[in-house]
Amino acid sequence: MKNYIKVIFIIAIINFIELSISNALSKAYIIFPLTFLFYSYYVYKSDENINPIEAFLFGLFVDLISNSYFGLNAILFCLTTYLINIYSNSFKLFSNLQICIFFGLSAASYVGFTQLILNLYNFSYLTLLVSAVFNIFFCIFIALISMYSGNLINIRK
Amino acid sequence: MTRISPSTGQKIIYLFLIFLGGFILYVDINTNNFQKIKNGFNSFQISTHFFIKSFSIDPIMDFRNHFQFKNKLIKENKELHTALEKSYVEKYLISQDSKFFKDKKFLEELDQNNLNKPFHMAQLKNLDPGIFNCCDKHRIHIQLLTESNESLIEGVVFNSSGVIGHIIHEMNYKEVMLLTDVSHSLPIKNVSEDFYCNARGSGMSDYLICNYNPLISNKEMEIGQNFLTSGFGGIYPKDIKIGILEDIKVIDSNNTELKIKLSSNPLDSILFGVINF
Repeated sequence: MKNYIKVIFIIAIINFIELSISNALSKAYIIFPLTFLFYSYYVYKSDENINPIEAFLFGLFVDLISNSYFGLNAILFCLTTYLINIYSNSFKLFSNLQICIFFGLSAASYVGFTQLILNLYNFSYLTLLVSAVFNIFFCIFIALISMYSGNLINIRK
Repeated sequence: MTRISPSTGQKIIYLFLIFLGGFILYVDINTNNFQKIKNGFNSFQISTHFFIKSFSIDPIMDFRNHFQFKNKLIKENKELHTALEKSYVEKYLISQDSKFFKDKKFLEELDQNNLNKPFHMAQLKNLDPGIFNCCDKHRIHIQLLTESNESLIEGVVFNSSGVIGHIIHEMNYKEVMLLTDVSHSLPIKNVSEDFYCNARGSGMSDYLICNYNPLISNKEMEIGQNFLTSGFGGIYPKDIKIGILEDIKVIDSNNTELKIKLSSNPLDSILFGVINF
């Protein structure tokens, strides 16, 4: 329970940071789903499989705090959790670069889905492409930091 | 530590939850059933923000101001700034008086210095500047500075630069749908009153989009021409300047798109006027 509250608190803070920087980044055609990436990292780093109901509730919570339609993040968080749980053992065979590309592309897919729902009239492939590249590089950057300075945040269950 | 792949039971739960999420998403997009929860949460968020700020940042700022013996000056400056912004809003309303108030009653009330009666002053409470660049949904939250028991749903919201939208929900704070929201539709006309169309929000800041069939209306459009409200929607008064034509895009032989740059900007000031017809 304590861990859930901790994760919810971190998600709320990260979502606040995401919303704060989104305006500046959008001028460079970048959408940076920091909350989604954090959640993916949390599922990836977890020692046990994340319960689907837990994923769904985290998604609903993100929907509420990010003022998006209810169900949008719930679906995407469920899908990500499912994918990461399925490939959790295969990840051990992958290189760090491959894992970074996986998370970067999943973040780009998240951007694509959310843009289809939230911003259909101004959907931009340029934004999608630039966001994908940015997110992949961000994941690589985080991986490099973790490699050279150990685990920054301990959110393991 | 090895993690076990999801079992068949878990896969069924995933599938069920994804369908459930899809259903909730569909209901939320097509109905307003979750609006109360969202508004309640927004009210809670805004109130908490101001509550925490009043106990954390404000005392520090006040102490600093007191320490520097500038608090009086700052207060006066704030009051002057507020009065100036209020006067801008009032000036806009006076300049549009014949359109907002056809019976001229408003001017009589202005003479008696009874400004609170014809319209309400409101203050910006919540605005996410990011929405102007990312999303179809352009909304802000405002709070009335004057107490009012009347319902202000569909009340027109304006600032010193012009009309910015109308109120769609009211709880502790009023939710304003801006003109640029993609679900917003505004009946407009040109100055010579021989062209009418419904301008919808573009989802981009500062722009409205107006589609029409050139085979039906063969009026020649010129870049830079002014567009006004037609008054047909019943929410906005007639003949209020909305913006100028910036771009004409011929989509096909049956569809031409006009891109209208708004003359008003919701980010211009933190004070707004609200008027209900």
